[in-house]
Amino acid sequence: MTAHAIPVLDQGAGEFRPPDPDAARRWARDKDRRLVDKRMTEHDAVERFVADGSYVSYDTNVWRRGPSSLMREIVRQHKRDLWIAAKFSAHDATLLTAGGCVSKIDVGWMEVGHIITDAVREGRVKMFEWTNGALAYRHLAGALGVPFLPLRYVGGTDVFHNSGAQLIEDPYTGQPVCLVPAVNPDVALIHVNQCDIYGNARVFGPGLAPVETAMASRHVILSTEEIIDTDEIRKHPALTTIPYYVVDAVVHAPFGCYPGSVPGLYRADLEHLMEFGAAQLQGTMDAYLEKWVYGVTSHTEMMEKRVGLAKMQQLQADETHTEGYYT
Amino acid sequence: MSSATSFTDNEAIITYASRLMDENRLYFVAIGGPPLLAVLLAKQLHAPSIAYVVEDGTIAPEMRLPAPAFMIGAGLASSRAVAWTDMNTVDFHASRGYIDDGVLAAVQVDAYGNFNSTFAGGTYDRPERRFGGPGGATEIASLCWRTMLMTRLQRRKFVEKLDFVSSPGYIDGTPGARERAGLPADTGPYRVITERAMFGFDDETHRMKLLAVAPWSSVDDVLSDMEFRPVVPDDVALLEPPTERELDVLRTQVDPSGRTIAGDWIVLDGAPQAAKAAPVAGTS
Repeated sequence: MTAHAIPVLDQGAGEFRPPDPDAARRWARDKDRRLVDKRMTEHDAVERFVADGSYVSYDTNVWRRGPSSLMREIVRQHKRDLWIAAKFSAHDATLLTAGGCVSKIDVGWMEVGHIITDAVREGRVKMFEWTNGALAYRHLAGALGVPFLPLRYVGGTDVFHNSGAQLIEDPYTGQPVCLVPAVNPDVALIHVNQCDIYGNARVFGPGLAPVETAMASRHVILSTEEIIDTDEIRKHPALTTIPYYVVDAVVHAPFGCYPGSVPGLYRADLEHLMEFGAAQLQGTMDAYLEKWVYGVTSHTEMMEKRVGLAKMQQLQADETHTEGYYT
Repeated sequence: MSSATSFTDNEAIITYASRLMDENRLYFVAIGGPPLLAVLLAKQLHAPSIAYVVEDGTIAPEMRLPAPAFMIGAGLASSRAVAWTDMNTVDFHASRGYIDDGVLAAVQVDAYGNFNSTFAGGTYDRPERRFGGPGGATEIASLCWRTMLMTRLQRRKFVEKLDFVSSPGYIDGTPGARERAGLPADTGPYRVITERAMFGFDDETHRMKLLAVAPWSSVDDVLSDMEFRPVVPDDVALLEPPTERELDVLRTQVDPSGRTIAGDWIVLDGAPQAAKAAPVAGTS
């Protein structure tokens, strides 16, 4: 059999980090395999694992089961030059942009207002167009430890031209097929329903790609509504989707998705979401950030001083549908 | 059933889309917005066991209505599903050929059903108006067997050339264009649904084709709000206006908060057939 090159029919011009599965394997090799207590504050977790210039991937978003408290901590610590994966993002991308933390965004979908649009127009933020599914799939490739995966979309669009995708002739069928490069983020931020002190984690409900995001990333910070006993984990092993050895930090964060919802526990605070929207529209985002981020030292302090017990109890009481989550 | 004489453009679009849906097909909708409401309306009215898959991995939910105000963040939207999976899993189901119809909202569409949800005006790096991005629409429009698009009929939306092709239709319309771009065979746009006109696509040329027009509009009225000229057959059907019953269920059960159905009002003066549309101030 003679070797021959696979024809590349077309390729996009978007910037992406070249996949390096062996580097990703080496990160895994260097992680602690022992069951060690990984609890730490959000301050310490973000300070230790999020560097300026990091590629950061979060799951899901500020509306539903997203790591909102960790994202506020990133803003509080003035992290800079981050490259974020906005695979079905909400106002999270806007928050990080308003905090001056972001310089590149891989776009699937995100809530967009003038803060992001202005940043793009002024060259402070560069966007690369992907899709929600293509970003989730690139995380899957990263999680599998392979450099790329084929898929049957992205082609025939300007998304293709603005991305790092390629169109090749499939060596098996001879038909054109698209490839997308793996992404291995520097850090994953994942909000989970429950985990133990080692990071064995349970995520309830439908979601984006929490497992792929954890598996693909160099460092994994979990924020969790609840820390449970390892004995409880071992009684119901089928519920564990992220095992301890991929996790670097466990941050106990009740109401960690606030102002969004963790289904089964508390509903979203629509007033707060509207306050964010109004701050963007009225040009008062600095005051919003002062109130909700810089003016408090931690998520716990924000919940106590800015949200208050009565509101927290109301959000819990209003989440009447719990079937499937904790029953 | 009696035709209504007062409704918003979005209510009309959602109603027309819901009429196209049946229980023999599996639908793929993005999270929240008009496509989800169309499926919910069909489920309430004529297709009680209709099944749909949501981009967040929810498979065949049976949400209790009236729907919550903020569906996109509410656990209730995923309730009574047969499975909770994730985004990659439902995309695999579409890629494997199990999902019949993708139902999507478009910002801008061209004659071959390609559509834009990225930006309008300017360039990619300096957009005049930037939108949320392709989201799940690109995979849905590529992998499902058929695609239904929902949008308002406006000249700036039905354009000769898109500012950005976020999601594929028939690409340049030539035979095999989708396959040459790496997309699955035998797939493509099926209907484009607006408040005044329903479009399909010509079997040969893949160009958009006018199928039906609302009684208060006309072929000329429709064409005057399009930059490109669709195929116009001799027999353009009548697009029946929303009925009182459809609107009642839509307003009281499917979107009681009124967030998604809000739009420009269409008020018909007298009997629908003789009506002249009188647009009044809308909310959007």
